[in-house]
Amino acid sequence: MEEKIEDLYGYVQERCLWQFFSRTWDRQENIDGVLGKAEQILSGQQPTNETPLEKLHYADAVIMVKDFRERFPWIRECGAAEVKQLMDGLKTRLVETVITKSTNRELSHHLY
Amino acid sequence: MPMVLLECDKDIPERRKHIYLKAPNEDSREFLPIANAATIPGTLSERGCAFCGAKLVIGGVLKDTIQMIHGPLGCAYDTWHTKRYPTDNGHFNMKYVWSTDMKESHVVFGGEKRLEQSIHEAFNEMPEIKRMIVYTTCPTALIGDDIKAVVKKVMKERPDVDIFTVECPGFAGVSQSKGHHVLNIGWINEKVETLEKEITSPYTMNFIGDFNIQGDTQLLQTYWDRLGIQVIAHFTGNGTYDDLRCMHQAQLNVVNCARSSGYIANELKKRYGIPRLDIDSWGFNYMAEGIRKICAFFGIEDKGEALIADEYAKWKPKLDWYKERLKGTKMAIWTGGPRLWHWTKSVEDDLGIKVVAMSSKFGHEEDFEKVIARGQEGTYYIDDGNELEFFEIIDRVKPDVIFTGPRVGELVKKLHIPYVNGHAYHNGPYMGFEGFVNLARDTYNAVYNPLAHLAGIDIRNEIPAQLPERIREAA
Ligand code: SF4
Repeated sequence: MEEKIEDLYGYVQERCLWQFFSRTWDRQENIDGVLGKAEQILSGQQPTNETPLEKLHYADAVIMVKDFRERFPWIRECGAAEVKQLMDGLKTRLVETVITKSTNRELSHHLY
Repeated sequence: MPMVLLECDKDIPERRKHIYLKAPNEDSREFLPIANAATIPGTLSERGCAFCGAKLVIGGVLKDTIQMIHGPLGCAYDTWHTKRYPTDNGHFNMKYVWSTDMKESHVVFGGEKRLEQSIHEAFNEMPEIKRMIVYTTCPTALIGDDIKAVVKKVMKERPDVDIFTVECPGFAGVSQSKGHHVLNIGWINEKVETLEKEITSPYTMNFIGDFNIQGDTQLLQTYWDRLGIQVIAHFTGNGTYDDLRCMHQAQLNVVNCARSSGYIANELKKRYGIPRLDIDSWGFNYMAEGIRKICAFFGIEDKGEALIADEYAKWKPKLDWYKERLKGTKMAIWTGGPRLWHWTKSVEDDLGIKVVAMSSKFGHEEDFEKVIARGQEGTYYIDDGNELEFFEIIDRVKPDVIFTGPRVGELVKKLHIPYVNGHAYHNGPYMGFEGFVNLARDTYNAVYNPLAHLAGIDIRNEIPAQLPERIREAA
């Protein structure tokens, strides 16, 4: 499981700009939003995208999931419980790197 | 690998905090260069001033707006014509430059009258132009000229004109980055939602942080037209003043340059709920991904796939021709900030190039988080690099080509290393599919050109019988 999470983490770090938005709250919102949609898609559900932000997170997630399936074929075999575990693990890694342990001095400034 | 103190920096050890050499299993949590900090005395910085960031990078791109620079002539001249951002109306922005030409007497007695006269004179000389941005500079900010009051008076006298003010003198920040910030926040506070435009498509977006460098915006606009997406405003490539007043009408903000223009995207999200999508517009793989995301947002995936298939059919064979010949080339990127992370993976994935050193003039720590996540191990990541550091880094990594501006470019030419203009391009556009083939062609022309090599041979000595293999092959 750890190795699989590392694979996904490596992909997100290299490709996804949404993890590096300007402030902690933007980063958290994107991580929760995109990984939430990804979890739904990977578990075979059709996400409902009602707000503009949900539509955006879906757009980011759907491309990411397609790449996951191409690069990491094992993910196609994962059931809902395993997908949840993977996404939770990925979330923890991302939050640690781009929020809690980031030394970016602008991350918590209340103004943009 | 910890941060690096170069030999040339031994008397300014603070520079160690700004230079990182990536090693296996490290990331930006442990080693993030300090960035967007004041230049350390003793280094010869390559940075521009804060006023320059507002005028040269963002405001001066607009195609229908007089850029009135309230200050001595030099502030105007130095921020004019050093970037190539054409327009589809005859390049108005590049043909003219405006200044209040402050002299000693105006500094002593105040420059407000001079500014008022200059504004009237400019509008009288160019009666078809009704929009203007007025900038303060160091001297006029120091003497306390109230440019907002002057502008208010003029706008009362001339009800058909609209004027925006940018109060960001050169000393306001550590680099040009401050000017981007002041212009972004000023614009959203004062000008967004002061006009409404006609909506002609069910799909609307702003394209933020494209400056039409050698036609980038115009090339990408052909994609948006084919997809049936109405671009409400380009911030600010080939853009108009009035389009930017309508930015609140878009459904989506697509951001290319997050450094110069992320602020306005964040504020549009906060105030109007318009979501922000960051994309990379350079590179095949990235451009296709950006188009796919935009289309997924609007639910027009099929149109997106058709466009990508067309473009790939047309341009991918050309790209591959260059890739075959550029594989293994070592590149250094010494530009403003975002192009480091936009380019490092795209040249690697699309062209087989290895980026061995990158330096940013005005990037923030966020930019270094991005580039360290994307960049290779064994590569140098430098904030606010100076000339001596460049020489030392060149010695260490031996790049085949350097993407940088003409000033540093002339410098590296003397070392017989070819450079490609990383700011204004050699023969762009470089964005989009066609654009990336242009970038590949310019890189090929640079590294295969025998001149850089031949110029390094002193004909008084014995002439080497052979050219380097790569150049022989091409000849
Ligand atoms: S630093 Fe000040 S005086 Fe110099 S160009 Fe910039 S605004 Fe003008």
